[in-house]
Amino acid sequence: MSALTFELKGKPDQRLDLSPLIPAKLNDLKPKDIEALAIGTTRVKLSVGDAFKVKGNDAGSLRFVGTDGRCDKIGAGLTEGEIVVEGDAGAYLGDAMKGGKIEVKGGAGVLAGASMSGGSITIAGDAGERAAGIAVGETLGMRGGQLTINGNAGPLLGERMRRGFVIVGGNAGDYAGGRMVAGTILFKRGVGRYAGFGLRRGSLIFIEAPKDLLPTFCDCGVMEFDYLRILDRWLRTTGQHVGLGDRARRLMGDMAALGKGEMLIVA
Amino acid sequence: MDTNKLQTQLRNRVGQCVLTSPGSACFAGLEGEKKLKLGASLRFFGDGWQMSKRVGGRRFWRIPVMDGEFVCEATTGLTKKAVGGGNLLVLGKSHAAVLAACERAVRVIDDVPEVITPFPGGIVRSGSKVGSKYKGQIASTNDAYCPTLKAAVKTALPLDVEAVLEIVIDGLTKESIAKAMRAGMHAIADGGAEQGITHITAGNYGGNLGPHHFHLKEIIA
Repeated sequence: MSALTFELKGKPDQRLDLSPLIPAKLNDLKPKDIEALAIGTTRVKLSVGDAFKVKGNDAGSLRFVGTDGRCDKIGAGLTEGEIVVEGDAGAYLGDAMKGGKIEVKGGAGVLAGASMSGGSITIAGDAGERAAGIAVGETLGMRGGQLTINGNAGPLLGERMRRGFVIVGGNAGDYAGGRMVAGTILFKRGVGRYAGFGLRRGSLIFIEAPKDLLPTFCDCGVMEFDYLRILDRWLRTTGQHVGLGDRARRLMGDMAALGKGEMLIVA
Repeated sequence: MDTNKLQTQLRNRVGQCVLTSPGSACFAGLEGEKKLKLGASLRFFGDGWQMSKRVGGRRFWRIPVMDGEFVCEATTGLTKKAVGGGNLLVLGKSHAAVLAACERAVRVIDDVPEVITPFPGGIVRSGSKVGSKYKGQIASTNDAYCPTLKAAVKTALPLDVEAVLEIVIDGLTKESIAKAMRAGMHAIADGGAEQGITHITAGNYGGNLGPHHFHLKEIIA
């Protein structure tokens, strides 16, 4: 069996809603039925067969080839299986997903991993604003699982995040970790202004010290953390050699909110 | 001991002995169908400052303490299929020699999978026998191995033995305990007779401790 592959025929003249294309919805469908699924977002009807060349037969493993930033909701609501995107992903990548795995070889649009509660997303390029943030109609951001952004992340990363783990390989924009309720974000490089704005609980871990710190974060000094050792060891098992060490400066905040969150700036 | 009592014991022992130890952390060493609370009950010591962290599918509690943080896994597994009570009794001409030999043995047993040495430091000085002269006392001191009682009881000790220490080994299988006992015996013997160890034996409690019997000569062969 080979992965069920959707190859984009050409640049679509409207944004595509690819949320019907997840393993749980495709498992029992025949190729003809898959090609008939509606993915348009305007009054002009558009089916999978109109936009994609469909090959392969393993609905548990999906491949999108040649996609661009107008291909929205890839892996939205995913519960199981694997999706590989050989191209860019549009908005709402892995929106509210509960399990499974998504790998994007390019970048992703806004709200990647928004309100996801399980599974993992890896984005090789950049992610747009509000990654791991609040999906439409939700009150909380990411609630579990793992989001890895190897490029840069836009503003409001992890807004109102409740649980889960986000790692950013590049720079993150303003308001990273804004209004977070819990969870962990690891920044391998810089962040913009107002990181941790309104942080209630949760951890923001910095390899590079942020240039601007909110005045509502209070310094606890530098000390050892077993937690960093455990996290570093686990990251190594996933192939990510971050070199967290075991010492960090701890700042508690945001004191303008609940104030039980923390910034750990690796020493 | 039923599961509820074990849960209470676990909370009390980890709370009193592990949480209190400088630099310690506590991890689940066993996956099991049933779970016992570990950090999930000790977290309340944090008085609201504790933080929960999930790392790679495992949940930890970070509890602030005076030397930093006590990190404790939220739950641990429970099994009722394990084998308990594998043991080695080490006899020697001085307390220091016996202790040093037992510490060597515990270090190598630590590397054997699926076994634990459940007592503090892995070594026991208060080996016991079943029963007592006192009503309600289910176990009492193993007088046959008490050097101070050689003249008064049916002793198992030669006159020149000054101290006896025991290594107790619990494991998931009989085979893993046997492997640990073999590793332990080799580590003790590595010190040589000149270091003062005279005998390695084991308590069999009249064969009444359980269905599994470990014969040292077969294990070491």
